Amino acid sequence: MKRWGVLVGAAVLTIAFVAPAPSQGQVRLTSGKIVIAVLNDQSGVYKDLSGPTSVEAVRMAVADFEQQFGKFPGPVEIISADHQNKPDLANVKAREFYERYGANIILDVPTSSAALAVAEAAKELKRLYINITAATTQLTNDNCNKYTFHYAYDTYMLANGTATEVTKKIGKNWYIVYPNYAFGQDMERSFRAAIERSGGKVLLSDGTPFPNDDFSTYLIKARTLRPTMHVLGVMQAGGDLVNFVKQYNEFGLRSKGVNLAIGLLFLSDVHALGVQAFEGTLYTTPWEWVLDKQSREWADRFLARTKVRPTFAHAGNYSATWQYLSAVRRAGTDQPDAVVAALEGFRFSDFFARNAEIRRQDHRVIHDAYLARVKAAGEVKEPWDYVEILSTIPAGEAFQPLSASKCKM
Amino acid sequence: MTVRRIGWVALGGLVLLLPRLVYEGLALDILTWALFATSVDILLGHTGLLSFGHAAFFGAGAYASGLLALRGGVPYPVNAVAGALVAGALSVPLLYLAVRRRGIYFAMITLAFAQMIYYIINEWRSLTGGENGVQGVPRVLVGGLDLSNLTLFYYVTVPLVVLGIWMCWRIVHSPFGRVLMAIRENEVRARSLGYPVDRYKLLSAVLSCTLSGFAGGMYVIAHRFVALETVHWITSGTVVMMVLLGGMETTLGPAVGAALVLFLRDILSTWTDAWGVATGAIFVAVILVFRQGIVGTLQRLIQSRLHPAPQSAPRRPDEATPVSR
Amino acid sequence: MESLLLQVFNGLINGAFFALLSLGLAVIFGMLRVVNFMHGALYMLGAFATYLLGTSAGVSFWWALLLAPLAVAALGIVLERLFLRRLYDVDPLYNLLLTFGLTLVLQDTMRLRFGIQGVPYGAPPLLKGAVVWGNLLFPTYRLFVLGFSVMICLLTWWVIERTRVGMIIRAATENPGLTRALGIDVDRWVPPVFGFGVALAALAGVLAAPMRNVSPLMGADLIVTTFAIVVIGGLGSILGSVITGFLVGVIVALGAVYYPPVSNTLVFVLMAIILLLRPAGLFGSLE
Repeated sequence: MKRWGVLVGAAVLTIAFVAPAPSQGQVRLTSGKIVIAVLNDQSGVYKDLSGPTSVEAVRMAVADFEQQFGKFPGPVEIISADHQNKPDLANVKAREFYERYGANIILDVPTSSAALAVAEAAKELKRLYINITAATTQLTNDNCNKYTFHYAYDTYMLANGTATEVTKKIGKNWYIVYPNYAFGQDMERSFRAAIERSGGKVLLSDGTPFPNDDFSTYLIKARTLRPTMHVLGVMQAGGDLVNFVKQYNEFGLRSKGVNLAIGLLFLSDVHALGVQAFEGTLYTTPWEWVLDKQSREWADRFLARTKVRPTFAHAGNYSATWQYLSAVRRAGTDQPDAVVAALEGFRFSDFFARNAEIRRQDHRVIHDAYLARVKAAGEVKEPWDYVEILSTIPAGEAFQPLSASKCKM
Repeated sequence: MTVRRIGWVALGGLVLLLPRLVYEGLALDILTWALFATSVDILLGHTGLLSFGHAAFFGAGAYASGLLALRGGVPYPVNAVAGALVAGALSVPLLYLAVRRRGIYFAMITLAFAQMIYYIINEWRSLTGGENGVQGVPRVLVGGLDLSNLTLFYYVTVPLVVLGIWMCWRIVHSPFGRVLMAIRENEVRARSLGYPVDRYKLLSAVLSCTLSGFAGGMYVIAHRFVALETVHWITSGTVVMMVLLGGMETTLGPAVGAALVLFLRDILSTWTDAWGVATGAIFVAVILVFRQGIVGTLQRLIQSRLHPAPQSAPRRPDEATPVSR
Repeated sequence: MESLLLQVFNGLINGAFFALLSLGLAVIFGMLRVVNFMHGALYMLGAFATYLLGTSAGVSFWWALLLAPLAVAALGIVLERLFLRRLYDVDPLYNLLLTFGLTLVLQDTMRLRFGIQGVPYGAPPLLKGAVVWGNLLFPTYRLFVLGFSVMICLLTWWVIERTRVGMIIRAATENPGLTRALGIDVDRWVPPVFGFGVALAALAGVLAAPMRNVSPLMGADLIVTTFAIVVIGGLGSILGSVITGFLVGVIVALGAVYYPPVSNTLVFVLMAIILLLRPAGLFGSLE
């Protein structure tokens, strides 16, 4: 929602009614309160990407929402837990949230295997779940269900953006290195498909152990595959990516003409290793804080509150919370089936998701995506100003088309 | 004797009332880990062999039961029993090799084999789901009764766990168990008396692993989910810690240890992130000063009231250290 | 062909770490009959010490090679005096469990302080870059690691086999009672020998810091492989652990090239084969 529109709307409402909007007070809460649970990695590789700061983002969203629309008839509680990127723990915590603490909705959940575990729990216990930070397309395909929504991005979106662009502009022949677990395999599949769609070819594809310290085997292979190989596509994420790039530089591959394309890159990774290590890398992102004026304004408010610049996960959590609470308002109740109905098919545009639609058939939230480039050290003008947005991929193109969907709800 | 009877009744009451007192998920974990720990004690406390790889068998049982339930529609508790048998079968070749070395080596070898199983489960994605694990395992009783209700499932599981723990007790309180004790105390002597020591050790290990697999089978149906963490060596270490904390070689020690560790984990995790430090510290403290464990110490206190006689710390004369204090 | 050569080189590097770690384990086990589960955590502490020395005291990598192992060895000796020595009288399994518990404490403490992702540490400027030989590229730092670890292993072997100090240690290991009877205070040698074993682990950590991600769990899975290597090689044999370490490193590296899915399990399969055919290990003897 555009901020000015909201301000005008709020002004109209305040003029029209003396008390806070009565429609808010008419929302029926089945247990007298709304419990929002945030499940993510609070101590591990994804702590900076998402972590406790996402919980803060959710709090901010609830506060802003209630300030604008008035308080709900009961308290809105926010609880969180650390799943340490372990699917077992995610499974246990999700069930605890739903059964023991009466959570209405679970948000965030990075790490694909954990994300799938929570989807299963949501389906069984019939409670809402909006995933923001995991990449697996399975959430909207094989593992889709009525109560699960996938918000910010997925491997298809990443591959579609990066692979297409890089194959067309830099080189047709790829060597893909991926971590051999659910996320990595998903990425490899999506990238392979996107590369082939763009007329490129995957010469070789190697699965590495996960997690892994030492990528020298694969970097050596990359050297020997040249000159027929143009692009080295790396699908590792987090700490493994940092390791990989470090060793890539150690082996001097950039000067040997081995171009690097990164599947999934977070602002926090660039922050960890420094801009120079990633300079020039092309990648696809659902959102960066430098996108435009509206996102910058929000990022400034976020910075004031949390002292860091937001990653897309933080922004996504805020946006998803807002959309959930909106849906509750529209439905007039927090009863799960009614809220699901209010979410399905809804179109909106806020500072995070532009031209967005919550697809009815697979619960994929589609929105514009962006191709970005990591700046050179000299181009950085302020802290966290590491990337430059190159182009927009419209919502209709960015995500997997429904015709290809394997979702049967 | 009536004190004992009252004790058993009180315990029975506690077990039956547990889902009222704590979250049912926690109560179920206590049940399954109690059996797991008790089965580990067959090998550790009674045979004197430290296995650092029991997570592999607990996990194998869990994966097997989960897959049978999910893909084969096998009901509970048949799937758990099948899981136990799978774990037992898996243990035969691995432990056959492991018992060829003693003491420390046995521990290292079991650790290494468990790690190998971990990697295999990770790689064999088509079967185990790899990192995702086995999800959405159905919870159905033989005869078709739906056990989605966690409390109902708990009460169905109680007799199974009791049966499992009783089997552990029966194994060690038998002529077979006596030989195990002899092997523990002085293996060379047992061998010289003509006992096929390796075969006894192997059988003890296989029984232990089978019952661990049974516990694993119950665990996966309770959680409706199993993934790699269950077969990681930290799980192996945790269950050994439970046995030590509760008291090796006692009937209920391991179960008490399991309950305590799980309680602590539940309480601590809401306050602090430092679960690992706390666990490690408790472990260190238990090993240094409290090796008899809770139940063991209690038993000692009671014994010393009845027959005051000095008892020394366990010694292994055939593996004496070159450096003494 | 060149790819093979590079992969073997790679394998030797990995083997160097295994060799250093199993050497330390063998020294500690030989003297104290303690299987030091902490070895992986001490390796990790060596790497972190290097990082901390660099960031907070501006100490260069070269000095860290000396100082970090000393610091970690000091910590190791403290832990030995405080904890391990209380359990020398009882079954060695308790000390294994004790070191397991200490490992959890050390790893988790570092995790709480530094996060699980770890911290970056770069190679010293002198060793950056690579040596090119025709079509082959050998990163300079890795060449250094190989050379340095071989030198340390040889040095250790020489000290233990060819010096008076080593003679005392060997005697104390084989027959402490007799050694004591000959007037040598065996107990006095325990802390230094333990410290030496720990220093070897920490040294491996220092070498690893520029190459690997310095993170709290960096030693965790390494220790299990090291145990397997030690079973393959036979504990108590200095030469055995070193050779086996290098050998396994090469085998695993080659396995990773030709059939990646099994590379992780290769060392355990090897261990199983050894147990079947030669339970004492390649270089050991059954006690």
